Amino acid sequence: MNKPILECNGIAAGYVKGLNILQGIDLVVSEGEIISIIGPNGAGKSTLLKAIMGLINVSAGRFFINGVDKTNLSTHKIINEGIGYVPQVENVFPSLTIEENLEIGAWSLAKNRKSSITKVLNDFPLLNERKKEKAGNLSGGQRQILALARALVTSPNLLLLDEPSAGLSPVAINEVFKTINEINEKNVSILLVEQNAKRALKFSNRGYVLDQGRNAYQGEGEELLNDPRVVDLYLGKL
Amino acid sequence: MIDQLGNGLLLGIIISVASVALSLLYGVTRIVNFAHGEIIALGAIVTLFFSGPIDSRVLFLERFSPLGMSFVTSAIIGIIFCGVFGGLLELLLFRPLRKAEVGNIAVLVVTIGLSIFIRHLYLLFATGRVQNFPLDLERRQTYLFFEMTPRNFKVLIAGLIVMIVIGLFLTFTRMGKAMRAVRDSGELASVSGINSDSIILFTWISSSMLAGLAGIFQAIINDVRYNMGFLILLLIFAGTVLGGIGTSFGAMVGGLLIGIFVQVSVALPFMEGHTEAKNAVALAIMILILLFRPQGIFGQKERIS
Ligand SMILES: Nc1ncnc2c1ncn2[C@@H]1O[C@H](COP(=O)(O)OP(=O)(O)OP(=O)(O)O)[C@@H](O)[C@H]1O
Ligand SMILES: [Mg+2]
Repeated sequence: MNKPILECNGIAAGYVKGLNILQGIDLVVSEGEIISIIGPNGAGKSTLLKAIMGLINVSAGRFFINGVDKTNLSTHKIINEGIGYVPQVENVFPSLTIEENLEIGAWSLAKNRKSSITKVLNDFPLLNERKKEKAGNLSGGQRQILALARALVTSPNLLLLDEPSAGLSPVAINEVFKTINEINEKNVSILLVEQNAKRALKFSNRGYVLDQGRNAYQGEGEELLNDPRVVDLYLGKL
Repeated sequence: MIDQLGNGLLLGIIISVASVALSLLYGVTRIVNFAHGEIIALGAIVTLFFSGPIDSRVLFLERFSPLGMSFVTSAIIGIIFCGVFGGLLELLLFRPLRKAEVGNIAVLVVTIGLSIFIRHLYLLFATGRVQNFPLDLERRQTYLFFEMTPRNFKVLIAGLIVMIVIGLFLTFTRMGKAMRAVRDSGELASVSGINSDSIILFTWISSSMLAGLAGIFQAIINDVRYNMGFLILLLIFAGTVLGGIGTSFGAMVGGLLIGIFVQVSVALPFMEGHTEAKNAVALAIMILILLFRPQGIFGQKERIS
């Protein structure tokens, strides 16, 4: 098996002290993998990504990044560990131009900021054409692409994506998944939270099913897809 | 009417500088700072403290030898003092409140309490006496189509330059972009590697320095009073809201407009003998504009998600 990039061991975390939403989550993402996290609404999928990013209090458990304990690292330092994050909501800076969004993405780079931005703009011609426009004017799908681009400026090894397809048209969804696939082909691991469980599991190497803040099931994508218990948890939604 | 336009521009530039400061702080920290007025007064009081003549009774000055420094040096000290004060407010009060996740309304009430507390400290130590900066009297002159003293004209020009500098700073510098990023989304900024705590500290310092500058302007044009900032605070809020909450450019224009509304309304026929009601007219205009443009003149209705 490939080298693990991110390991979560027994993570308990929540928004309010003494009220844990996550009650002991275990998860591993290795080099080059696409891992999906699925689960019903309110299962704690977004909460898990926020806990990894240090946005909420972790009351128990440990995070290892590239084998080193990085629990309780300040949010703004996590990007230096090669981890990029695209949140479910508020994933771009609407009043900043596209170019400025990427400049903020490059904030943590000590050097080569300009060239990293140029590289990303070359990879996404759509953004390049409109780089002086406010991000707030972009359509949902274009915003999602900008959000991905912003997270890619620092060339992370792992991207955490929270429902990148939510609220998008079928055409835009295809575009977003195609982009994610291309990113992964450049050896960037992906940890993907998805509403559309079927699509996510088909798309990924392995999946985790979360329910009420706990790991319910895990396994290879296809395997989970055919697991009657997983189907049951989704009340036949699959 | 034209006479009042000059006065309106002067009042407008003061409100404008103070509104930008308030709006920057609100944008970055989501704090509605009722103590903003006291920081404005602090700028004027400290400047008077350092430049005041022998018999001025500012703060503890009664018992200390007067400093009598040059006015410009004193004003610079006053502005720096405000910056330090704002920085300390963040470090000792507002940061701990934020880490304890105290809600926005509670923080708002804290700023109201702070405002009352500081204002009464001024009253205690600085006396309620109205005082003036030790500046020579000047004769009014005509500039374009309005009259004002050369000193006030300089205040107007200085205010406009300050606005342009703020605009350029926010648009083009790394720090300015970071401030706008945190204003849009603190969480997204911090996952992008920005330490929002240092941006917030910087914002407190710069917002307080601007407030201090506004206070010095106000004291040059009028006088120094312990409650000078409080008296103008409502107009500053009005300027911020009128321009569109969270846009610095809006705060600049909104502040200018409110100042002009206030002064020009003095010249309205039905206002004769009722000049103390001039603020009411300005605020009524603000409410009218907001009825037609709820997001303010330059505010944007943002699409969600
Ligand atoms: N900011 C918050 N403060 C307090 N509780 C929250 C907050 N955000 C989410 N929660 C609660 O945490 C639980 C898990 O929410 P989370 O957003 O992680 O679910 P999710 O699995 O991402 O669901 P969805 O599919 O709807 O995005 C829910 O019960 C939710 O009410
Ligand atoms: Mg979610």
